[in-house]
Amino acid sequence: MTAMGRLLVLILVLCGAGAALSLFAGRRRRPAIVGWLGSAAALALLWFSGSGLFAGAPFHATLWSIPSLATVTLSLDRLSALFLFVSGLVLLPGSIFAAGSLGRYVGRYSLRAFSVPYFALFATLVLIPLSADAASFLMLWELMSVLTYLLVSYEDETDGQRRSAYLMLAVGEAGTVLIALGFIVLANSGPLEFVAMKAAGATLGAQGRWAVFLLAFLGFGVKAGLVPVNFWLPRAYTAAPAAFVPVLAGATLNLGLYGIVRVAGELLPASMVGPGLVALGVGSLTALLGILYATTQSDLKMLLAHSSIENAGIITAGFGAGLVFVASGHGSLGSIALAAALYQMVNHSVYKALLFFTVGAVDSSVRTRNIDRLGGLIKVMPFTALFFLVGALSIAALPPFAGFVSEWLTLQTLLLSAELGSTGVKIVFALCGAALALTAGLAVTCFVKAFAMGFLGMARSEEARHARPARIWAIVPMAGLALLCLALGLTPTYVIPVLGRAAAPITRVGAAQALVPPFFAANPHHGELPAAFVAEFHALGAEVGERLMPGRGLVVLHRGGKANPVVFAMSTAYMAAVLALMLLVAYVVFRLVIARRRAVERRAVWAGAIPRLLPEMTYTGTGFSNPVRVVFEALFRPTIVEDTRETVGLHFRAAIRRIRGENHLLDRFVLDPIADSALWVSNGFGRLHHGVLNAYVLYGLVALIVALLVGRFS
Amino acid sequence: MSQWVTKGLATGVKATHYPRAAETAPGTSPGMPAATSLPAARAQLVAARCPTAALRQVPSGVEVDRRRCVHCFRCVRETESPVDWDAGCQWAELLAGSERRGRSLGRAFSRSLHILVVDAGDCGACLSEVRQLNNPYYNMHRLGFFLTPTPRHADVLLVVGALTEHMRLPLRKAYEAMPAPKRVVAVGSCALSAAIFSPSFICAGGVGKLLPVDVEVPGNPPPPLAILHGLLLVAGRKPPSGTDAVRAGANQDRLR
Ligand code: SF4
Repeated sequence: MTAMGRLLVLILVLCGAGAALSLFAGRRRRPAIVGWLGSAAALALLWFSGSGLFAGAPFHATLWSIPSLATVTLSLDRLSALFLFVSGLVLLPGSIFAAGSLGRYVGRYSLRAFSVPYFALFATLVLIPLSADAASFLMLWELMSVLTYLLVSYEDETDGQRRSAYLMLAVGEAGTVLIALGFIVLANSGPLEFVAMKAAGATLGAQGRWAVFLLAFLGFGVKAGLVPVNFWLPRAYTAAPAAFVPVLAGATLNLGLYGIVRVAGELLPASMVGPGLVALGVGSLTALLGILYATTQSDLKMLLAHSSIENAGIITAGFGAGLVFVASGHGSLGSIALAAALYQMVNHSVYKALLFFTVGAVDSSVRTRNIDRLGGLIKVMPFTALFFLVGALSIAALPPFAGFVSEWLTLQTLLLSAELGSTGVKIVFALCGAALALTAGLAVTCFVKAFAMGFLGMARSEEARHARPARIWAIVPMAGLALLCLALGLTPTYVIPVLGRAAAPITRVGAAQALVPPFFAANPHHGELPAAFVAEFHALGAEVGERLMPGRGLVVLHRGGKANPVVFAMSTAYMAAVLALMLLVAYVVFRLVIARRRAVERRAVWAGAIPRLLPEMTYTGTGFSNPVRVVFEALFRPTIVEDTRETVGLHFRAAIRRIRGENHLLDRFVLDPIADSALWVSNGFGRLHHGVLNAYVLYGLVALIVALLVGRFS
Repeated sequence: MSQWVTKGLATGVKATHYPRAAETAPGTSPGMPAATSLPAARAQLVAARCPTAALRQVPSGVEVDRRRCVHCFRCVRETESPVDWDAGCQWAELLAGSERRGRSLGRAFSRSLHILVVDAGDCGACLSEVRQLNNPYYNMHRLGFFLTPTPRHADVLLVVGALTEHMRLPLRKAYEAMPAPKRVVAVGSCALSAAIFSPSFICAGGVGKLLPVDVEVPGNPPPPLAILHGLLLVAGRKPPSGTDAVRAGANQDRLR
């Protein structure tokens, strides 16, 4: 067995041991088992996938093979290694956080019911990207659906939580059916290994390819949270226990994307522009709808869930743009788009897990997630607030944190459509670019609201005023992920080549060449660039840091033709350095020059000179996002029930009560029609169940006569 | 429709020339009683007519405490010995006193003065006059004076009203919220001395009881030009002497 094989076995053994131990260990020990064994397994996973991702260590194993029936193979390429690595990044802090937050369930719930499915899911998450044949893939996929159902419905205090989990299971099953159908069409009655299917895909006609693409896109889109099959997602995320949501957002969502990338990008040859456009359009729509609903939420967890939808949309849009580029022969532009999409995926996993940790910490300390009941948490939970801020800045795509580079690249990619020939395609790109730009703007609004209304200002409830600071089991995972957010934002020039290599099977070109020019003289590729070009950039300071770090440089730059040598360029590392320098200079000037000659006086906040500022008087989250709500009223279509009580004579209103209900767009157009028609059908059957006996006899008679007649005359 | 440019140009500047030149338009100031030499018996009678004790008998006749006068005209109407009437409007006074008090703000503020107006229990009269400062005729923007809604941007706190009990805390808060250097301008006889109200259960008597007042603008209410004069003083822009000539006699018919 190779070293990689041994590592994989180690991961699986650790998961198995975790499941077994938590079956038999004492009740109080179980959280610790999740923490220790879970993080050990995650470390092993990071090692395993890291050596595949960075060093390209191969791994291939045929577990068993029954000729002409099924072959079960596991194999690791850079693409699956990337997804595994991201899962590891989320599962490592996730296991620590889970161990800590499970403490509050002791005595109320069976901890076994959490830890056994948790470890089983861990193993499944590891195996899904590895499986290289449709049969085992589908089996594992099914297993994942069931296990996530078990974990989401863990806290089944309210009917809503159980219902959300059921909905997730049902939609997930429908998705699995679609995926299976897609595989069947693709395999075309050939063998089910991915290698063979890829060969079959090359010979498939246009209609077959469309069918496979649409089936896979819709089927995997369920888990990825794409329109129109993501209505389960916000409910399930809100219902899931705090210990599990990060995994849901940072790992299982990615697997949906993995499926799309694997099937639509790799197994099907990228030769048609159409599928890419569909992915781009659906992605943009998903992103816009996701952020619109996120902005108007007041439950932090629900807000984050909708924002996950938004991110999934951005990733899919980037992927779609990449497919279009690849299909129209622009491999290197395609590699930029795919690098952007994968970058966004990595970033989303990291910052979303971070944000879910902070919300979990807030929830466990304040016992509410309603922004309108929080406020002022920065005073009582300073670390949590800091980490939430880092996550919010990252997700709002503000430099120098993670999220900026990927969103910026995605938008730049859409502008690159100028290179494409067809006008129709350009129009789609432009529209989608506009939608994504609006999304980016709303994302800032959304997270300004989440941070400012949740953590700043005055506490709007007793619980928020007396919240206890987060415990160490929450601080450590959050701190790790916050640092990772910063690192991912600062070092795009090191991340992009890795992502480019992972996407290489699809684009056939690495992204490093197109995006990260070798400005550092020490780099062996330095000679590739024209000397005049390099000199110009060195004059701007592109070689700063040459001595300090290896690599190609710190500038992300896309070179164009003669007319415009630089299509776009940017460097978050330099930007951050300049930003820090400017802040430092401003601080020093203020402290040493200005403040020295002036007396500084501190007075209370100016609040219009009212005697006492009450929390009820301050701005609420609902108020903050109301403009968005009003502008997009036609889309939200709220149901408003107004109830007025009038005094005698009906001249004056004594009281007005206004209840505003909101039904998600997809609920209105997708879920409700499906549910209604299912109810209608079952009602019909229900009536048949309770009919009159004589009528049944009549039905039998009629059927008999019809059968006889048909038999007689056919 | 688009002739407003030409029409505007043809109309020319209609705003008052004060403080560059004297204001000569009729009716811009109600005037104020002036110190008058009267025989002692007459002086005693006149002083007794004043409801707010603004007139005081002195050996030479009567003296006027402008801070208390409410323009009731009892000292000029229906009396054998009316007091002299001063038809001007430059009544504002820079108070000399403690080190900080009574000093203008200095050059930096002379053409950019931001004013927070606080109604500390005003009947509406003084506020209405303050509002005139922004109209096209008095147009205080031409002098670089601006109203601001927040004390954080204000250099001058302009207080109108007798300072009722309920306004003490808000007024103090507003003053404390202002960045230094800051000045207080009290406008109207109520703000200066709470003339007819104080001391009573509802007010202690004037803004000076709570805040260090720098410029006092007497009048009940003071006309816009008087307020403008006060603001010029606080900005350190003393209007040249000789501009205080509201056309005499313009209001004299009203007096009888
Ligand atoms: S006008 Fe009235 S208040 Fe003023 S001094 Fe004369 S009598 Fe007194």
